[in-house]
Amino acid sequence: MIDALGPVRLALIVVFGLCGLFFTFVSMTGVLRLPDVYSRAHTASQADTLGAGFTLAAVALAAGWDGAGFKTVLLLFFIFVTNPTAAHAIARAAFEEGIVPWTEGDERR
Amino acid sequence: MADDGSPGSTGGSVVVPIESTPTLRATVTHLAESAAAGEFSAIHFVVFATWRDGDPETADREASVDRLLERVSTWAEADLADVDDVDVGDVEVVTTVVGGDEYLFGADDYVRELVAYADDNGIEHVVLDPEYTPVGNTTLLQSLEFALSRTDLVVREAPVARPTRRERLRKEATGIRFAAMFGLSLAFYLALGDPLYPFDVVTGVASAAVVAITLSRVSFDADPSPTRTPMRLLRGAVYVPALLLEILKSNLVVARVILDPRLPIEPSLNRVRVIVGSGLPVTTLANSITLTPGTLTVRARDGNLYVHSLIPWARDGLFDGSLERWTRFVFYGREAARLPTPRERDDVGIFQGPDATEEYPGARADGGSEREGAPVADGSAADADGSAADTDATGDDSDGADTTAGGDGEVTTE
Repeated sequence: MIDALGPVRLALIVVFGLCGLFFTFVSMTGVLRLPDVYSRAHTASQADTLGAGFTLAAVALAAGWDGAGFKTVLLLFFIFVTNPTAAHAIARAAFEEGIVPWTEGDERR
Repeated sequence: MADDGSPGSTGGSVVVPIESTPTLRATVTHLAESAAAGEFSAIHFVVFATWRDGDPETADREASVDRLLERVSTWAEADLADVDDVDVGDVEVVTTVVGGDEYLFGADDYVRELVAYADDNGIEHVVLDPEYTPVGNTTLLQSLEFALSRTDLVVREAPVARPTRRERLRKEATGIRFAAMFGLSLAFYLALGDPLYPFDVVTGVASAAVVAITLSRVSFDADPSPTRTPMRLLRGAVYVPALLLEILKSNLVVARVILDPRLPIEPSLNRVRVIVGSGLPVTTLANSITLTPGTLTVRARDGNLYVHSLIPWARDGLFDGSLERWTRFVFYGREAARLPTPRERDDVGIFQGPDATEEYPGARADGGSEREGAPVADGSAADADGSAADTDATGDDSDGADTTAGGDGEVTTE
């Protein structure tokens, strides 16, 4: 399968895949390091937007412009619609519960 | 309680929130008859503004509301004149628009405006048109009746004949909303399946019909317009790459902050008052803000978005309002995009951190709690008591879900 792709396309697939990996890694680091629910929600959505974004772009390139590639693009679209909605739901629930966002000098939560 | 009735009256005043419904005409007649029977001395018809003054298209919406109010006023006067044994001059008919200075997101917001109006005018009674549904998609909202039952106002529903459920469904389900929902669902189904394979076409038509019947009322709060919708989609297609670029940029900045061993974050909760129009535009903007790393929409309340920012850089970007400008461009075109930034309009506030400009808002500063200190109404009529108990019982178990549904989840269709 790899032989049939051509060098430029293959390179793009690899680059996109690595970018996806990188942003997923950043996102994971952020979830571990950041101090409270709000700031973690920021970085958790990073994994969805660019982490999944680049990975799915790589998948779409690998699959080509037939059914699978098209469906991957649709998938990307739905992730971009649902991801902020979910992040907002989490943040809003935290706010309604009266959780005050972390500021400099507070303890980690 | 009787001492704060309107001056010189025997029966007190009544406030009636209205919109254009099939039962509005009958409700007006009912009110005229009640007033003629001496129950009320003044009838206030109010319309809640679904826009905020200064929004794009404000003039159009104001004009249509003015027409509605004018019509209602004419009806009321005609009905009063029809009743022989009353002097028309005895009953005052007032029409007005309230809420034009902020977006109203849920039943609590509407009730707060209504209570404020009633207090200002010494009104104790509310009569509801049975078909009155603020925002148009009641299934997602906490019921107005339930929110009203927690106030001092005496509430009742106008006893007028409602169209049957079946008629209503048919009426709502036909027309352009149904067609749009059906077309969209079918196109999506066939995009996933094979448009040339008869089995897929048949099942697609069936599925799209089910979706359109059940969801066309929920998904649209206005008819899609054949001229405006394609333009919006076209401008949306321009917006998507711009948004992606913005996301990429912020992602890199935030990634550097997170990977920095010192973790130089400076989070704060902020307020930004946006001018984009309620419903889909404000949802789009809030989602775009959340999609951009570094900023996270926490709450939409009173026309403000509460946005959490991770670093001052992201906060500055938010206050410069480029996403707000883009949203206005997508929904209203180039003209509307040219407005001052939130910072220039002074529509911003910082709640936390060294640069704080405003006090941190409590989580439950809205709706019910501000009425808690007020004395409980003693004079609620027997029938109002009964219905309040009913709504209480049904309202309780869904309370948690309702408060979240009131905000931004109302419009789901692209």
